Amino acid sequence: MAASCWPASGFYREKKRNCSARTAIFDGGMMKNKEGEVANRPDNTAFTQQRLPAWQPMLSAGIVIPGFLVIGLVFIGIGVALFLGSQSIQVLESDYTGLNSNTPCYECSDASKKNCTCSIEFTLTKQFDGPVFLYYGLSNFFQNHRKYGVSRDYYQLSGDTAYFKNPSDSCSPYIYDSGVPIVPCGAAANSMFNDSFRLYQLVGGTKKPVPLDGKGISWWTDYNIVFRNPPLVNGSLAAAFNGTAKPVNWAKPAYELDTSDPSNNGFMNEDFLVWMRRAALPDFRKLYRRITQGDYAAGLPVGNYSLEISYNYPVIGFGGRKKIVLSNVSWMGGKNMFLGVAYLVIGSLCIVMSLVMLIVYAKYKFPEGDS
Amino acid sequence: MCQKKKFTMVLLIKPMYNTWEVKANCHHFHGQLRRKPFRCFRQRRNAENAVRSYRYTVLTFLPLNLYEQFQRFANIFFLLVVILQCVPAIATIPWYTTLLPLIIVLSVRGMKDLSADLARRRSDSQINSRPCDVLTPAGFTTLQWKDVCIGDVLRIHKDQIIPADLLLLCSSEPHSLCYVETADIDGETNLKYRQALSITHSELISDPAEEALSTFDGNVLCENPNNRLYSFKGDLYWRGKTHRLDIEHILLRGMVLRNTDCAYGLAIYTGSDCKILRNSGQVIVKKTQVEKDFNRVVIGIVLTLLLVAVLMAVGSGLFEYRVSPKMEVLSALGGGSTPVYRGFLAFWGYVILLSPSMPIALYITFEMIHVVHCLLIGWDLHMYWANNDTPAQARSKSLNEELGQVGHLLSDKTGTLTQNRLIFRQCCIAGDIYGLLPHQKLPLDLSWNPYSYGGLHFHDQRLVDRLVKQQCPQSQEFLTSLVLCHTVMSDTTFFAGTIRYQAASPDEEALVVAARELGWVFLSRTRDSLTINALGQTLNYELLALLDFTSDRRRMSVLVREPGGGLKLYCKGADVVILERLQKDSPHQESTARALEIFAQGCLRTLCVAVRTVTEQQWQKWRDGLQEGEALVEELHGRMERELMLLGVTAIEDRLQDGVPEAISSLRQAGIKVWVLTGDKTETAVNVGYSCRLIDPDTNLLQGEDFKDLDVWCIDNRPPWSKVTVVITGHQLADLMEEPEWGARFVALSNQCQSVLCCRVTPGQKAEVVRLIRKHTSSVTLAIGDGANDVNMIKTAHIGVGLCGVEGSQAVQNADFALSQFSFLCRLLLVHGHWSYYRICKFLHYFLFKTTAFALVHIWFGFFSGFSAQPLYETWFIPFYTIAYTSMPVQCLAIFEQDVSAEGCLRWAALYKTGQRRDLFSPATLAASLLYSVYTSLVLCLLPLGAFHSTALDYQTLAITVATSAVFTVTIEIIIQTRYWTKYNIAAICLSLALYFILTLIVHSKILHDKLPADFYFTGTSLNPVVWLTILLTTSFLFLLAVHCAERKMFQLAFLLLIFLQVHSMMLPTQVRRPGGFRRGGVLRHSSYAMSQGAGFGRLITSGTGLHATAPAQEGAEAAANGTKENNDKL
Repeated sequence: MAASCWPASGFYREKKRNCSARTAIFDGGMMKNKEGEVANRPDNTAFTQQRLPAWQPMLSAGIVIPGFLVIGLVFIGIGVALFLGSQSIQVLESDYTGLNSNTPCYECSDASKKNCTCSIEFTLTKQFDGPVFLYYGLSNFFQNHRKYGVSRDYYQLSGDTAYFKNPSDSCSPYIYDSGVPIVPCGAAANSMFNDSFRLYQLVGGTKKPVPLDGKGISWWTDYNIVFRNPPLVNGSLAAAFNGTAKPVNWAKPAYELDTSDPSNNGFMNEDFLVWMRRAALPDFRKLYRRITQGDYAAGLPVGNYSLEISYNYPVIGFGGRKKIVLSNVSWMGGKNMFLGVAYLVIGSLCIVMSLVMLIVYAKYKFPEGDS
Repeated sequence: MCQKKKFTMVLLIKPMYNTWEVKANCHHFHGQLRRKPFRCFRQRRNAENAVRSYRYTVLTFLPLNLYEQFQRFANIFFLLVVILQCVPAIATIPWYTTLLPLIIVLSVRGMKDLSADLARRRSDSQINSRPCDVLTPAGFTTLQWKDVCIGDVLRIHKDQIIPADLLLLCSSEPHSLCYVETADIDGETNLKYRQALSITHSELISDPAEEALSTFDGNVLCENPNNRLYSFKGDLYWRGKTHRLDIEHILLRGMVLRNTDCAYGLAIYTGSDCKILRNSGQVIVKKTQVEKDFNRVVIGIVLTLLLVAVLMAVGSGLFEYRVSPKMEVLSALGGGSTPVYRGFLAFWGYVILLSPSMPIALYITFEMIHVVHCLLIGWDLHMYWANNDTPAQARSKSLNEELGQVGHLLSDKTGTLTQNRLIFRQCCIAGDIYGLLPHQKLPLDLSWNPYSYGGLHFHDQRLVDRLVKQQCPQSQEFLTSLVLCHTVMSDTTFFAGTIRYQAASPDEEALVVAARELGWVFLSRTRDSLTINALGQTLNYELLALLDFTSDRRRMSVLVREPGGGLKLYCKGADVVILERLQKDSPHQESTARALEIFAQGCLRTLCVAVRTVTEQQWQKWRDGLQEGEALVEELHGRMERELMLLGVTAIEDRLQDGVPEAISSLRQAGIKVWVLTGDKTETAVNVGYSCRLIDPDTNLLQGEDFKDLDVWCIDNRPPWSKVTVVITGHQLADLMEEPEWGARFVALSNQCQSVLCCRVTPGQKAEVVRLIRKHTSSVTLAIGDGANDVNMIKTAHIGVGLCGVEGSQAVQNADFALSQFSFLCRLLLVHGHWSYYRICKFLHYFLFKTTAFALVHIWFGFFSGFSAQPLYETWFIPFYTIAYTSMPVQCLAIFEQDVSAEGCLRWAALYKTGQRRDLFSPATLAASLLYSVYTSLVLCLLPLGAFHSTALDYQTLAITVATSAVFTVTIEIIIQTRYWTKYNIAAICLSLALYFILTLIVHSKILHDKLPADFYFTGTSLNPVVWLTILLTTSFLFLLAVHCAERKMFQLAFLLLIFLQVHSMMLPTQVRRPGGFRRGGVLRHSSYAMSQGAGFGRLITSGTGLHATAPAQEGAEAAANGTKENNDKL
């Protein structure tokens, strides 16, 4: 038993020393170095030795302060450009919900009235440069609600007739109208905005219609890729929709959305496409028409105008508002004061920060390059 | 023999513990095929000798591995999320967004496990197919290890590894003794002996061996397999008699047979029943503090996520209650369910939607980064030791960052700080000091000595000249005493013309080797004689008595009869002991005392050598006394070792490893408390402490009696503590441990002191000390050692480091890191540890930031979308964000980042303190990081919403704007975080951004939409300038803040560096190396020699067991060899 706890003795150490004795002075024949004995030697590469050539930027005051200054100036520049760009955009905005009795559409705001029309009159004292865009705006309407968003059938909308008979469950509860499948199904389509607008210039007591262009108002990919009409049956779109029901809130089936232009029907109706593209926020506006033709291609001249509204879409029930917006566009799209102001604020902040740092730096000067 | 009936009969008479039965050679009775039959077992199936450490088979891999992986909280969480996503009502994002990352994580992990398992398989089959000789009816046959069965009789040859636990039946050596090396079992490299029962020895020795062995029909009844390496209980029933067996009769699997030509054994335990395999028990998986903290954070994230989901559900309920009923569309979508139910659905919807904020890929990335860090440790050329061709090795793959936080270093001394190579440096003979001139490094001319083969570090030609010319009888007597007075054994075979020695004490070995080099060669010993060769003249001394060394006596003596017939007693021992036993008029006492002082100053271990002439009458008297009884022995020894004449003093150097003083001073600068725990004596430890710069020359030692006033010491909080070193012995420590409050005080005291030396501590106490520190401080402990006695400590500490030293591999086997030299520890901690800590802290913070910042956006968007759990991202973006867009740069950061170069880390060791103070990873920094990500998510959501307010821009454009901003923001964040830009970092960032654009274009492509319109509905991307301006605004808004913070941190770093520089320059004067050896006020002699804690070979020598009484071993060995040859011929 005692044998089990002897400490290390020299017997086998002697042997092991052979390899550990390289530095020691041994003259015996046994203790020769073997040069080949480096099998486990790690590779001497920059990677394994962690000596990869590297750039080690130091964020010193000498870089940061001028950097902030330059960024600040650039941002102020962008901000000024955006601000001025935004300023130059003319916007005419009018709420036509008709909540108050003194507003033009007060009568129409009663949900029980059908086919109600009202008109808003306005005067332009300044030329409204073209191209002028006509938007409608809704507020408090949750197009970005998740259930609203998923309540559509992408297969159906891409013209897959298999889904005309069996719409996707995601359309619930707008799948079947008394047993007949709804096409286009879902809440998104069902709640489509259906007010329509006509613009007239009042010239000497007569109403001169301003041509509104409904072409190309939809998203390019929606029009060209995402939405597809079903294959025509006997050259007729209506026949292709055979055996389907229109969405319950719609007055007309999808293939009769635009009676004036046969190609602007079904899922390729541009108003439908604009509506189906979900808004980001509960307050949104959507493009209705562009004024690009005839006498008004260069813009709306000074004068009196009347906007005739066919008032159909109820919003008062959920506290929503309806707006009509006339706007022209610049390189940055519509009027957007927020961006310009934000750039200006950040730019000024940068400059202030760089000044503060400069003061701090001047006060507690750190020796550069010491480390 | 093998029939059941008999078993039960045996069962009745056997003692309680003997429930394991083995019958030798019982395959004869079965008469079946060779392999299967002799399962002479009862009760349960005994193991095959094949080891099986692999876990998976083709069939079980998938279920087992998945089972293991799903024990991780994160994985099970995501599995639950995937299951939730299959419920349409709450599937806010489709199932593939979570399943895709989950599958990738699982498969990467699975591949890792599989490759590790395959490696285990390979090593298993390598072990299982090792050859061994098994006795079959046809004689001994070479089979593989896995074929060995219980009851087999095996033949083990010299230097073979023992394949199973065997009962030693007989061996080729006298008395059936056999020597084994147990390095693989307990790490000790010295030889141990095992001896067969005398009955089996006498009955089973035959020529050829098969004859007797094949008829051996003994029946072993013993205890069930267990893990006790040092005990064995059992009986051998043979020929109607019972023989008691204990551990001395057992050869354990893993031992190596040495110095014995052949041993025959009966397999008792095989395979996983073997004691050594029973011992390889549970591996304790160590986790770092950082990982534990982060796990808490992850759980915190989950809880927060649930809380947020509850709040959002409340919001949703309110929305459904107040807004939806008024809106025909929404109320219809609600499907008539109550607001509460809809809120409940919204809760689950938000749980799914916010689940990406749980860092799913974190753990696998974390593991991969650890593996790379471990590889980098192994690849470091600065930690590769060419002398034994060993690179550093990281055995544990999860402790890297903790290397950068070590607060307490607990080091073994022997073999760790010192080389465990004792060198005869100087001596003093008759008052003349030899070998004093250290600069005289010319090797001695020893060509006249045929037995010389190097190994001497003694440089003094004067002594050699005097010896050779036989001018100085005292020096001859001195060497004669060295060559006679020891318990060293010489190898019976001549190895390449030299003699190998085997000693229980390395000091003795050093002395005998030195004597051999100087011409006094110890050739061999028998029970009662010693053969030496003095200057070419072979002399035979009769050994009359051997008074062995004990730690009480601190000396040993031999009484010999010279060839001329005279009787002499040679004695060597500690100076104090010997000097008081000298003759009154013994010469050279003063000069010797001076020599002792000089040797002590040089940190050398000294032994005094003395001689006494004894008359025949005295010897007769002693012999009679010796035969009388034990009680008088001590006194008698005292009487014999008296009236000595001083011959001289030997001085042995316990060499420090290369670079140890420098390493220790660096580690101390780094703020690491160094404790040395050693089994050695106080004096030795203190001396080593001085020489390795653990203790400064002007340091006060707090030791011994001072501890009585520990109360006073602790209360009195005086500044000069920094110059105090605590020296404590094992006994005092044991006393301390008994009173818990003392332990706390002791640790508090020690923390204020410069260093601590614990001497005379047992392996168990070493672990106790580690536990004490762990209990009373929060700092990370690192234990380093090289021997089996350090295993306990290594396992207990946060990090265990093993040195691949001379003491076997036990320490390394249990360590988390293996190094070849102590000085490499400096680089391991200060460079690799610091970098790992720095990288992993940065990595974790960034990972947390990137996952939460991107996922929390949904909370804010909820306020604008009626709490409907509407995702703000396209569904494909979510998995790709985790997998592709943000994963590579952070991995590069975690692999390549360096705050300071390796040289810088070593130069400014104080930088290491950031890790000890946990500056980079603490609840505060985590909270800051989380706040920052909340802020980021707010900006990511609100700025685009502000820009999009009342415009005709749609949801899809918003989603792309926010997603692009998120990708840009986290990319910019990593750009700011990266301070060390290699080509890989740049490539990773470019690739990530490129992947973002390419994958986005692919996902938005017409082709995919045409195939699966419902899954790829984000067709077409807006290139509106407002989108880009918003992205620029959002990212730069976040960027500027990040730069500002980073730059402030930079200022701090520069400031810190400045301070370090100043401190460094102030410290320079004290860093000047002391020339030469060490000098200090009070010279402490230390004399004596290191002796094992157990007994040496003394008993073996005096009892004569294993020593050939008269005849040299050669003949027997030859006979055995011939026997083997014949056997082989037969087969």
